[in-house]
Amino acid sequence: METSIMIGIRKEDDDMPILEAHKIHKSYGNKFNRQEVLKGIDIQVDKGELVGIMGASGSGKTTLLNVLSSIDSVSQGKIRIEGKEFTNMKDKQLAEFRKHHLGFIFQDYNLLDTLTVKENIMLPLTIKKVPRIHAQKLFESVAKDLGIYEVKDKYPNEISGGQKQRTSAARAFVHEPSIIFADEPTGALDSKAASDLLNKLSDLNQRREATIVMVTHDPLAASYCNRVIFIKDGQIFTQLHKGEETRQTFFNDIIKTQGVLGGVNDEH
Amino acid sequence: MMSINQLILRNLKKNLKNYYLYVFALIFSVALYFAFVTLQYDPAMDEAEGSIKGAAAIRAGSVLLIAIVTVFLVYANNLFIKRRSKEIGLFQLVGMTKHKIFGILSIENIILYFSSMLVGIFLGFASSKLIMMILIKIIGIEEVAELRFSNEAFVQTIVVFAVIYIIIMIMNGLFIRRQRILSLFQVSSTTEEKQIRVTKWQIVVGIFGLGLIAFGYYLSTELFSGNIVTMGALFLTMITILASVIIGTYLFYKGSISFLFNLIRNRNNGYLSINNVLSLSSIMFRMKSNALLLTVITVLSALAIGLLSLTYISYFSAEKTAEENIVYDYSIPNLNNAALFTEALEVADIDYTETTLDIVNVSANLSNIIQEMEGVELEFDVSMTNMVIASDGWVENLDLAESDTVFVNTNEAMMQFIRLKESGEILLSGETTSFELNYLGHEDVRVLPFRFANGGFPVAVVDETVYQQLKANLDPESQGEFRQHVGIDIENLDDLQEAEAIFQASGIGSWTAHESQLQVINNQKQSMGMMMFIAGFLGLTFLITSGCILYFKQMDEGEEEKASYTILRKLGFTREDLLNGIKVKQVFNFGIPLIVGISHGYFAVKSGWFFFGTELVYPMMIVIVLYALLYSIFGILSVLYYKKIIKEAL
Repeated sequence: METSIMIGIRKEDDDMPILEAHKIHKSYGNKFNRQEVLKGIDIQVDKGELVGIMGASGSGKTTLLNVLSSIDSVSQGKIRIEGKEFTNMKDKQLAEFRKHHLGFIFQDYNLLDTLTVKENIMLPLTIKKVPRIHAQKLFESVAKDLGIYEVKDKYPNEISGGQKQRTSAARAFVHEPSIIFADEPTGALDSKAASDLLNKLSDLNQRREATIVMVTHDPLAASYCNRVIFIKDGQIFTQLHKGEETRQTFFNDIIKTQGVLGGVNDEH
Repeated sequence: MMSINQLILRNLKKNLKNYYLYVFALIFSVALYFAFVTLQYDPAMDEAEGSIKGAAAIRAGSVLLIAIVTVFLVYANNLFIKRRSKEIGLFQLVGMTKHKIFGILSIENIILYFSSMLVGIFLGFASSKLIMMILIKIIGIEEVAELRFSNEAFVQTIVVFAVIYIIIMIMNGLFIRRQRILSLFQVSSTTEEKQIRVTKWQIVVGIFGLGLIAFGYYLSTELFSGNIVTMGALFLTMITILASVIIGTYLFYKGSISFLFNLIRNRNNGYLSINNVLSLSSIMFRMKSNALLLTVITVLSALAIGLLSLTYISYFSAEKTAEENIVYDYSIPNLNNAALFTEALEVADIDYTETTLDIVNVSANLSNIIQEMEGVELEFDVSMTNMVIASDGWVENLDLAESDTVFVNTNEAMMQFIRLKESGEILLSGETTSFELNYLGHEDVRVLPFRFANGGFPVAVVDETVYQQLKANLDPESQGEFRQHVGIDIENLDDLQEAEAIFQASGIGSWTAHESQLQVINNQKQSMGMMMFIAGFLGLTFLITSGCILYFKQMDEGEEEKASYTILRKLGFTREDLLNGIKVKQVFNFGIPLIVGISHGYFAVKSGWFFFGTELVYPMMIVIVLYALLYSIFGILSVLYYKKIIKEAL
């Protein structure tokens, strides 16, 4: 239901969704050998939402994230972030767009080995040419929030996986982007480090009103979200709202849905 | 099912793209070597070899060439096999024995190696014809080269490169044997010892390195200043200079660069621009493990620049040296022979001017104006040395008082060992009379060929009246073999060739000290041209090998850093941003060894250039500029390579 309400009208008030995707298609290959990965997906994410995207491998969830985050182009359809459509932007404009509006957290951290924790986190600020003093403040606040201020002068290979992922998260938050995309952020972490990170993420989500879209196959990670969208065969299968439920019941719902999804999966 | 043969073929096809630089390196090495050896065996070289003992120089050159080419190919091969470690690991994982893998690699390499070799030999043959023409132009041997395909050269090239191939296969064998499946998968991340923190120890090492370089430079300026006299001490000093500069360079790379970069980085306090991210931090990260490589490249560059500069200085100065040495177009220290020659010139209707001078040796006391230098023992007695005098009438625009004197006719090498004061009193004595004269200074004028004036020792110019008195009173004991000198200048340049033919036909030149300036210039050019050719050949090889090594290294780094470019582009850096950062990085990567190499080369040349010629700055500038230009081609190529990687990164 909700996905069909969608766009068309630009609202001027705070209700304007941060992310609106309309009938996006993505296919690979050439004219003769065409494989459609996304088959017309509509998504809307509001400000301050923490949205999870789940699905079996090959369902197209990573492609969806790449397309939503402007890293990959769509074959058809329109995507807007904060009312700005970027599906037909040029390379350079896209880079400009990303540096102002987007933040990224990746499964394998994607930190630069040659830079210290602090230098890594401050990268988005240097691209935006934020004044040094202001940059310093932004850095301190986010690094303290994520509990990595103490390791700021260390290099990535001197800290733990959890700290690396929190550094990656800090880099995504520091320039206060419109929306943050996270690709399996807990994929490489042990359960302790994972719940640590998820607690911090949902904390920041609430306190900073940050909008986060997270792809994951981990039900625990998904249970921290306000809403979970299930993808199957390039289409939205269903979505779950957390509403007033506790995390535990939401977790159980997710497991159930995943079971339904998984039962018909993998055969083709 | 795919057979092993198909596997090899398919691999070869796929890897050819990766290997194209390796193939290029091979073709280039073979072509260079074959061209060199072809020249060595060419009959046209016999003249050059016979006349100036070029054979030994060429042989020494070819040995050096083999050494460089071997090191270069082994290095290139190591880099490229490292890139394939994953593939090799995969073969192992699916159950192929190391033996089998080695076999596949060997066959693949044989195909690649020997087909490149044939191409190289063909190119070498074609280019040796061109080189021959250049050589003949430089050394002026008037014989059109009819270059034939030399079987000896062919066999020698095949043998040399077959041996190098065996060395490379041994290296590959060792590489495969050393690796376990696990480590093969990790090779690209573990082969380099990564530099993370700048320690205090490193700062000390860096400063010590700079100190060693400075010490080496200081010693080099002292080398021929006259303070070091015995051959043994000279040799020892040279070795010390070499050692301290090379070790200093290594330590400098190991310590100082990272330290300096770290200072800049700390000042930024975490706020790094994209240029800093891609250049400073990336270079720092690798500097420690790259120190050896950079040292090798620096030393190669310094060697090439030094070698090329010295030979070019000699070649460039050939004319000037001959002019200084001979002074006149023809120098004939015998009145009768001079008369024979001038008569012949008159018959041929060639205008000339004749300058007949008496060569007068007096005893001079120079103890007041020769500066004492510590530890130097001059090989003559400063208070009583032979000196040739000249009248002020011989020198244009010079009119001296009876009590004054000026020195002329000195040469640069001689003046390195004698320091003259600004002014002072000297005493010139004939057999019985003496004159005490005021020394006014020293002028860059020549009046007599060096060989008649004690080989570049100053000639004292005195007033005509003093000259006549000393001449009348000369001490027969201290006079040289020649008492008179006739200098003949041809008025019209166009007649010079004809005059030269007359001089050669008359046979006057076969007498001792009877010389034609033109002939001396030609001789000089011929021997220097040969040296320059060999030095140029080696210099070019040094240049291309060091450029290629740096370029290969950059390819490797680029592949390794590809993931970083992906991240940076996701964060919103544009391709141009990244490329600009890369450009800065390449300016450092290529510029630092180049600048240090030029600096080393400069000090090396400066320490002894005066033995080679008369002009330092101009020829050296030309060599440096040319070297830097050719060298930067590799820098540009590497930027283009990075451009490709950055494009593919997202």
